[in-house]
Amino acid sequence: MEEVAIIGAGQSRFGTFVEKGAKELFVEAFEEALGAVDKGIESREIQEIYVGNLGVGGGQLGNFASMIADYAGLAGIPAVRLENACASSGFAFRAAVLAVQSGTCDIAVAGGIEKMNDLPRERLRYWLGISGDTEWERLAGMTFAGVYALMAMRHMHQYGTKREHLAMVAVKNHKNGADNPKAHFQRTITLEQALNSAMVAHPLTLFDCCPVTDGASAAIVCRTDLAKKYTDTPIYVLGHGASTDRLGLFERKDFTALTATTMAAEQAYKMAKIQPKDVNLAEVHDCFTIAEIMAYEDLGFCKKGEGGKLVEAGETQIGGRIPVNPSGGLKSKGHPIWATGTGQVYEIFKQLRRQAVKSSRQVSGADIGLTHNVGGSGGTAVVHILGIGERK
Amino acid sequence: MAYVSIPAYWKTIPQRYSLIASRCKSCGTINFPPRDICTGCGKKTEHEPIRLKGQGKIYSYTIICAGGAPPEFSEQERLGGSFGVAVIELEEGPKMVAQMTDCKPSELSIDMKVEAVFRRVYEDDDVIRYGLKFRPIRA
Amino acid sequence: MNSGIIGYGAYVPRFRIKREEYLKAWGSFSPRGVEEKSVTGLDEDAVTMTVESSVNALKRAGISSNQLSGMFFASTSAPYAEKLSSSTIVASLDGPSEIFLADLGSSTKAGTAALLSCLDFVSSGRGDEALVGASDVPQAAPSDPLEHGLGAGSASFVTGRNDIIASVEGVHCSSLEIIGERYRRQGERHLKDSGIGAYTEQAFNHALTISVTGLLKSLELKADEFAYAIFQQFDGRTAYDIGRKLGFKENQISPSMTVTKIGDSGSASPLIGLCAVLDIARPGDRILIASYGSGSGSDAISLVVTDQLVETRNRAPLVENYLAQKEYIDYLTYLKFRRMLGAR
Repeated sequence: MEEVAIIGAGQSRFGTFVEKGAKELFVEAFEEALGAVDKGIESREIQEIYVGNLGVGGGQLGNFASMIADYAGLAGIPAVRLENACASSGFAFRAAVLAVQSGTCDIAVAGGIEKMNDLPRERLRYWLGISGDTEWERLAGMTFAGVYALMAMRHMHQYGTKREHLAMVAVKNHKNGADNPKAHFQRTITLEQALNSAMVAHPLTLFDCCPVTDGASAAIVCRTDLAKKYTDTPIYVLGHGASTDRLGLFERKDFTALTATTMAAEQAYKMAKIQPKDVNLAEVHDCFTIAEIMAYEDLGFCKKGEGGKLVEAGETQIGGRIPVNPSGGLKSKGHPIWATGTGQVYEIFKQLRRQAVKSSRQVSGADIGLTHNVGGSGGTAVVHILGIGERK
Repeated sequence: MAYVSIPAYWKTIPQRYSLIASRCKSCGTINFPPRDICTGCGKKTEHEPIRLKGQGKIYSYTIICAGGAPPEFSEQERLGGSFGVAVIELEEGPKMVAQMTDCKPSELSIDMKVEAVFRRVYEDDDVIRYGLKFRPIRA
Repeated sequence: MNSGIIGYGAYVPRFRIKREEYLKAWGSFSPRGVEEKSVTGLDEDAVTMTVESSVNALKRAGISSNQLSGMFFASTSAPYAEKLSSSTIVASLDGPSEIFLADLGSSTKAGTAALLSCLDFVSSGRGDEALVGASDVPQAAPSDPLEHGLGAGSASFVTGRNDIIASVEGVHCSSLEIIGERYRRQGERHLKDSGIGAYTEQAFNHALTISVTGLLKSLELKADEFAYAIFQQFDGRTAYDIGRKLGFKENQISPSMTVTKIGDSGSASPLIGLCAVLDIARPGDRILIASYGSGSGSDAISLVVTDQLVETRNRAPLVENYLAQKEYIDYLTYLKFRRMLGAR
């Protein structure tokens, strides 16, 4: 198996863009990724493209990858759209890595795009609710926020986690996002604001939930022995892992952990030959604040049930023991659902190369980073471990 | 648009109206909703139908508010306000998701004893979709 | 007939609205003697109410749904104008797929008509046990005084030949053609009436006089030989008025007068009254039930309670249990729950 490195990555601004469509957003991200390749690269050198997209709004459901490849000037290479709910571009990245690892190609691009703000509210709610169990959860009145709320209720019941802990995650991520020019929301919030905002699905308030965002992201991977042709600082893919769990939350034994995450992380750590404590920073899937708290535990950054204590002690802030979501996370950076995965890769790529957009967000001593991307309520999950140096 | 067609809903009427589950003849696991491949032993085994009683307790719950209900329930939310949705742990073991009814959302709590009641759940394609909701067992 | 009632059960929705709310909204509350009435929640209808009252009836009968050979459903407010409600009810009870189904409607007399049909079904030997459910949630325009008294409720019975708790002693019916009295045209949502009090009263009195005096005469019985007299209940006074005319006393009538707490429950009305009476009746008690259907006629039935009733009584909630479970709502919430505020 070949080794793989990232030689360039890009991301559009995440936000609300009525005037930009999916195609335009992707090209923005893709062009930045090409431009990030220090020694230059021609787009015709890309050999395969993997894109994550759900097709919110149903604009181009069939042959979406062909449309994107066409618009990006890549027509003529294999292109495929992957769908694993919110983990789509994380899995697109995994697919690109596997393509290079297997020797199928030398250079591939993975990306994700989503346009969510084109739709009237009622229609949008259909799309937001499709990643849970439609037959048995959605038809009982359950929403995406509702499923994570069920997890929060159990976490609070079993471990004493408080609403304040959830709010602390939102406050931290907004603080990071305020310094991220690419973030959807660039303003800080207070604990009081977070706690007192409107209830969406008890106990989760508006500030516990990620926004509805437009955006695109892309990352270019290639074989490590070719990487030096393109850059002196490739970012190595040290390990990856992926898994699934029962689709419906109600079918799972434990509501306080995402087994898919735990299993994906175990595989990734094993492949990278590292322990959780070796991770210097992580971009985790905080679609809801409770998801970040559970991620701390599922990724091994703290003991089960102690995720609330970890954020309370400030250990996941920039400057803390294990900075989490220095980009602002899904909460503040935004969650263009299927562009999030490669967006996380983009942040880690920049951080490990000491190029964090706005130096105030630069995590010092960042040598090994982790991305964690989850589909829906944990039906799928994928973890990547990236490093400034090759695997030891 | 993700939705459940009339035939797809009809196929699950025994589950939605009467809690018909299936018990694996090989390992005894009760699967609800019924499955071809048993969730207990992971094999495609023979099953026998078993009707669950509809008694249980709340394992977890949330209250859907602020105009966030799935579109099938937006009329209900407009007219009736926020509503509770719970994961019920049935007496026989399986868990299921259902709306709570005949109670104020603020009355809900984990471990509360509840019972199934037959109600109109929503309407789609001009057809009434009946099913089960749960209400607190009051003395 | 050799069949009788072997199980009974009622259901009343949880929500209530008081007459004071109507006084605040309209300055008046039309039905005499009604303190409050029941209101269906947004997720309830005549079918869902019947499922619960049927579960109660089956529990008292001590039989399982797969023993039923027939199901009769009565309502003036069935959710579909065309699609059987009885099939939905049988499916929810996990009943058999080989069963006779009949939905009756078109008047508030449909409840007793369905009960009699259900008794005849078993008596004729077409089946051993059958179920009948009468449920109503009648509706009229909010500005119509007729609307004030309209409530909701359901009553179900299982009929059979063994372990009878109330046997049928006699039946007498009347048929009239009194146009424009209380009616609803096809495709119309709201009930209307003539608005002519004397016309309405005359029709009601005429129909009940024929059915009740006819019944008493055929059985050679007098009014005071009945422990209970249950009449169709539109408000809290009409039953006493007709009762007095026919020779019945207030104390024979009052135990069945659930209308004071639940309002006019349409075709279910006399049958919910019957459930309330069966909750307290003693072996040997004779019960009169006289229904009335919107300007069309009346069924009068005489039942005699057996000693089987007492042991079945506590297998399911009593009517008073349902009356005690209540949550008051205001008039605005009422309009929303009744979908009278532009929902569709």
